[in-house]
Amino acid sequence: MGKPSLKDTAITSGYKMLNLMEMAKMSIKHGPFDMIRDIRRYPWLLDFAKVNRLVTKLSIGRRGNYRRAVGMMLNGVVKEMINYIEGIFHRQDKLVLHEDMVPPEILRAMGLSPWMPELLGIILPMIVPDSMEEYIDAAENEGVPPDLCSLPKAVIGITVKDRLPQAKAVITSNLPCDGGMSSYIYVEKKIKAPIFRLDIPHNFKDERAEIYFAGELKRMISWLEDHTPGRIDWDRLKEICEERNRMSEYELQLWEMISARPAPLAAEAVYISHLWYFNVCSGLKSSTQVFRRLVKLAEDNLKNGIAAVPDEKYRALLWNPPTMHVIDLFAVAEERYGVTCIMDSMSFNRLPFIDTSSRESMLQGIGRNIMNGPMARHTRGPMENYFDDIFHIIKRFDIDMLWMAGHIGCKNTQALNNIMREKCRTAGVPVLIIDYDLSDTRITSRQGILSQVDHFMENVMKAKRII
Amino acid sequence: MTATDADIKALLEKPYNPLIQKAVEEGMIPLGYACSLVPEALLSTGKLFPVRMRAPGGTGTEMADLYLSSVICSYARSLLEFTLNDRYDFLRGYIFTTGCDHLRRLHDNLDYLKKQDFSYILDIPHKAGDAAIEWTIEEMNRLASALEKQFDTDMSRESIKQAVEKTNALNSALSAIGTMRKLKNPPFTGTQYHRLIMAARVSPAEYMMPIIEKYQKTAEESEGISGYRARLMITGSGLDDPEYTGVIESQGALVVADRYCTGSFPGLEPVGTSGDIFEALARRSLEVNRCPRMMEGFNSRANYIAEIAEEYRADGVIIESIKFCDTWGVESSALTDKLRAKGIPVLRLEREYRQSGEGQLRTRVQAFIESMGK
Repeated sequence: MGKPSLKDTAITSGYKMLNLMEMAKMSIKHGPFDMIRDIRRYPWLLDFAKVNRLVTKLSIGRRGNYRRAVGMMLNGVVKEMINYIEGIFHRQDKLVLHEDMVPPEILRAMGLSPWMPELLGIILPMIVPDSMEEYIDAAENEGVPPDLCSLPKAVIGITVKDRLPQAKAVITSNLPCDGGMSSYIYVEKKIKAPIFRLDIPHNFKDERAEIYFAGELKRMISWLEDHTPGRIDWDRLKEICEERNRMSEYELQLWEMISARPAPLAAEAVYISHLWYFNVCSGLKSSTQVFRRLVKLAEDNLKNGIAAVPDEKYRALLWNPPTMHVIDLFAVAEERYGVTCIMDSMSFNRLPFIDTSSRESMLQGIGRNIMNGPMARHTRGPMENYFDDIFHIIKRFDIDMLWMAGHIGCKNTQALNNIMREKCRTAGVPVLIIDYDLSDTRITSRQGILSQVDHFMENVMKAKRII
Repeated sequence: MTATDADIKALLEKPYNPLIQKAVEEGMIPLGYACSLVPEALLSTGKLFPVRMRAPGGTGTEMADLYLSSVICSYARSLLEFTLNDRYDFLRGYIFTTGCDHLRRLHDNLDYLKKQDFSYILDIPHKAGDAAIEWTIEEMNRLASALEKQFDTDMSRESIKQAVEKTNALNSALSAIGTMRKLKNPPFTGTQYHRLIMAARVSPAEYMMPIIEKYQKTAEESEGISGYRARLMITGSGLDDPEYTGVIESQGALVVADRYCTGSFPGLEPVGTSGDIFEALARRSLEVNRCPRMMEGFNSRANYIAEIAEEYRADGVIIESIKFCDTWGVESSALTDKLRAKGIPVLRLEREYRQSGEGQLRTRVQAFIESMGK
């Protein structure tokens, strides 16, 4: 696709500069001596400091609004990550560790500072691909089975290496899988803070399940009030839920626009946006702002007939969490074959809005979002959830092919791969299953992953490489 | 060997054993299950009887590997293989639970590949407490209604209570025999007792009771076993192959206690019959069953094992887990530390469902016994 224009280079450089400024502000606010001390205590901070590498990776080959969307979305990620880190520095008396499927909205409405241990295992391999490997090794050296998903293994490793902040309390749940659920035995043991575990039913689609889970959330709130300085502020929770609803409105608008062929925005601009802003910091005005801008960028592209990927040949649905340590998978696929990631299993959901008319309805709405959220309905729920969603998305977003990020540690989805192959074959949808590990580059290297893409595109799709 | 040991062994050689065959010929209805969270009593009303699904003598899981993948526990894969090979065609239905990811996906694959007329999944919470009990009571009620509708069987509270009493009587008889393992010289080996328990899990209670009574009588008259090097307890994920215990005992150990879901602790504890029968069944699933799939209670589970080991004077504990089992995989690691901190020698083993690596297992057990100075 040739060299980027000066304007494109300036866009990326601008966002990189903003990211560096955010990090400098954090260091100044914390003080240089304290910063050095905390870098020694939490060496993963150094990996995070390399975040502009991620900006570079995801900007390659992207132009105009698409490039701007990626830079803007990542700048928001950096700001909120810094806010998270400042929770360790300045708000440890309110810090609550919470597993990735626990709703942070409630913690914020209680005046607490949420801190998700899994976040390190998600964001850092995107920046430094092998960043989790020392923690994975540490977990295995503790006797944790190597076949466990590398995300909980990373959490266990970070915990046993004493690189998690001390917290007032820990909240976890039975989501998203047995491995994730079990890993908190280690967090509980090491952190020595009181722990509450949320239970989410398997058949969650009826009202009985919603009421049960809302009850769990109420018990969590009252437990947190007993064990932390947090107090629930229902008005604040309402504001947060309304803000989240506004963000959902924008996301639906975005989805409507990317249904068009060619799509005006795609890949990480869509899926990392959902992954981050809905799961880490929903209900914040700054998050809604990011989605508002994404919609604007997509609208402009649509109005001007500009495709995110100028040579959009194939529209892909990404299933499972993205390939974290090869996060630029689609940046490469766009350039090589015109494969454009339109939608993914982590973003797509059917029930995005929270009814804020009463306390009960808010808790049920938050609960419904969790139960229908990524890695809940697909991993904990029955297989109907899984396949209904796949074929619904294929139809709704005019998808040509399914790319399954076949993370070897995700036993739940590995056990459905063959059914998926057969169902897709019947429906005439080509399937690529990428064999790899979510956070461990030693299982399948970057080259190994990209080779699987090449083989699929060249042998199954009979596609010619563009570059 | 006790007088009936050979007969008991014969009951474990294939899924469709002679007692099930006899029951089916008499019009009884076998229902399969694969998790201890399933209330056996509900599957024991009227003409129904529960059969714990196993894959004895399985030699490979080629088809199951294709569907479930090779990273799913080999118990789930073996059951799928056996079902696809028509080895469970005699079942009239099966009841699964949300016990673990592997069994849930086995259920999904069975429904896709070979759906039974009656295929049910019980949604059991991952923690105890009042709300979870209430949820589980409703789940038990729904299962009872579904069974009533499908098999036209009496699912009144009275009928269920009778089934609970029948199951309790069977378990009490097994438990009474198991208590003899506290003796310095128990009258039977751990392998023999394991066979008895497993036979009871795969055969109709009506036909098993006389066998168990005979077994008890013979055991009471037998001379105790002496000359063993060490008394061991086995704990871990579901172990339904007594010959695994046999290999451990072949090195001079005597297995005197067990805590796994196909064993005696806590599997033989009776279900209460004084209050609401559905509540009693719910409490048993949530509060008595001590599977690490329950999110809470790690310390209580570890203490329970330590208490049994002390009560049965075990010199050491073997923790076994089937490869790829996430819950036992993580639990074993933390449990090993916890038991060792209490001064209990621990040997941790990872195994496949199917007996394999016998030589290695022998060496590990031998070394463990030696490390205890026995």
